[in-house]
Amino acid sequence: MISIKKLNYFYKAGKQDNRQALADLDLEIARNTLFTLTGPNGSGKSTLFRALSGLSIANQGEIKMDGLDIVQHQNKIRELMGVVFQHPALDKHLTLMENFSIHADLYGMKQSLFRQRLDEDLAWTGLKDRLGELVGTLSGGMARRVELVKALLHRPKILLMDEPTNGLDPGGRRDFLDMVDKLREEREMTILMTSHIFAEAERADRVGILHQGRLLAVGSPEELKNRLGREMVVIQTIDDKQAETLNSKLANRDGVKVWIRQRELRVEGIDSKTLDDLLANHREQFCEISIKRPTLEDLFIHITAKNGEVE
Amino acid sequence: MTRAIISMAKRELVRFFRQGHRVVGSIAQPLIFWVFLGSGFGASFQAPGLPGVTYTEYFFPGILLMVVLFSGIFSTITVIEDRNQGLLQGILVAPVPRMAIVLGKVIGAMVIGLLQAFLLMGTIPFLGIDLGVDGVLLLIFGLTIAALGFTALGFLIAWNMESTAGFHAIMSVFLLPLWMLSGALFPVTQAPIWLEWLVTVNPVSHALLLIRLPLYQPAAELISSHEYQKALAVAVVWAVGCLILALYRVNRQERSIVVS
Repeated sequence: MISIKKLNYFYKAGKQDNRQALADLDLEIARNTLFTLTGPNGSGKSTLFRALSGLSIANQGEIKMDGLDIVQHQNKIRELMGVVFQHPALDKHLTLMENFSIHADLYGMKQSLFRQRLDEDLAWTGLKDRLGELVGTLSGGMARRVELVKALLHRPKILLMDEPTNGLDPGGRRDFLDMVDKLREEREMTILMTSHIFAEAERADRVGILHQGRLLAVGSPEELKNRLGREMVVIQTIDDKQAETLNSKLANRDGVKVWIRQRELRVEGIDSKTLDDLLANHREQFCEISIKRPTLEDLFIHITAKNGEVE
Repeated sequence: MTRAIISMAKRELVRFFRQGHRVVGSIAQPLIFWVFLGSGFGASFQAPGLPGVTYTEYFFPGILLMVVLFSGIFSTITVIEDRNQGLLQGILVAPVPRMAIVLGKVIGAMVIGLLQAFLLMGTIPFLGIDLGVDGVLLLIFGLTIAALGFTALGFLIAWNMESTAGFHAIMSVFLLPLWMLSGALFPVTQAPIWLEWLVTVNPVSHALLLIRLPLYQPAAELISSHEYQKALAVAVVWAVGCLILALYRVNRQERSIVVS
């Protein structure tokens, strides 16, 4: 459904300084899947999002949606696409109904069809009673819902969402992601969502991890986590110095890999004897120890550390 | 595309009337200028070649021009707000030509300016000017061209600006002087040559003539006069030129730079 080949994107960072935001990016996203593109801030997610939504054009590489080239068939692709931006693209001086109505006009929807679809969408988003309210009076979570309904009104085949949970409280974030899950159950749609929260990516069918403009890993959340294989021991030390001390002690052991982030140590391949030793002789150096399955965040730390780009 | 243009223009009007301070400010500001400056300069003013014309009357076409100027500025400044709030990108990803975005915004802003000017035109009989229907139509025509020029110019500037503060700076050093140097505030016949030259090359001076001349000459006579035709030609070229530049600028999409 979405095909990206050898995509490069450069921008001017200073008078003589060019920065590469995307480097030789290849990606295939199958029809009717939820693909989450994750990575830290500055990894290139927003640049890729702008290129996919047609707001900017990459001079090197190719993007195709539903087999159509994004540069040559801009308007056709825009009809196929619904877009939810990081900051809601809503006019706060207008009511919900007025915002929806402008969207229908921009997408050339017939009035009867617009009304019918709006009724359908309002029913499952719980916005029916608020149509006459000004957008400026809505909470962040509610504005997100409005944005989602607006993006779906013309029934797009592809839904692009740029960090849609950004700025929402945990409750609002959960509600929004539940709505996305519901949407996937009820409609056939290819969804590409960006997020810098790795836990959000766990809900996706497939995940891509972007770092410094490069796609480091692509796969289902399970496949990606299985790359790390074994369970990990996570140790929270009392300070950075103790973290270094424990690191030097553990890192010398055969088959043991340690990733250190400030006061936290993530240890892979630790045996029960070493664990017993830690609990018996080094108890004063840490405040918490736990065993957990690897997460996508662990994978990110693992692969970027391997490249020598992040500690 | 027509529906998108109407929708965008309607949005401008709804937003304007929903913000009470904008409505009050846009009507009160020109009135304050007109009354205060008109009263202040009234006693000492004598327009060359216009015997019996008070400063209040002389300044009236300038005030009408000011109304469409400020309306154009304050309506197009919302382009920057729309961009900063993320609203603009939501419009840019819609399957409508970008021309619709420009035309919708410009038409909406023009209508706002013209409505304010129409309100002010209600004072014409009190100035002792007898304007027939054809004179009113010609005046509205002149105001429409001036409104188009200012809104298209405002849009062009706003599209390239990142902050409303920057736009205000441009307004102070560029847009307001365009109005001041149009002959709206003072007659240029006794001004220094360099100033007279600036007024002559300023397209807004010609737009002002399209507003001033219908107040004093019959429409039929005016249309055939060389002075009016010249003013019309310059003002139309300026207004349409600004609109074309705005359309061109908006059609230019953000691109990756090419690195070999």
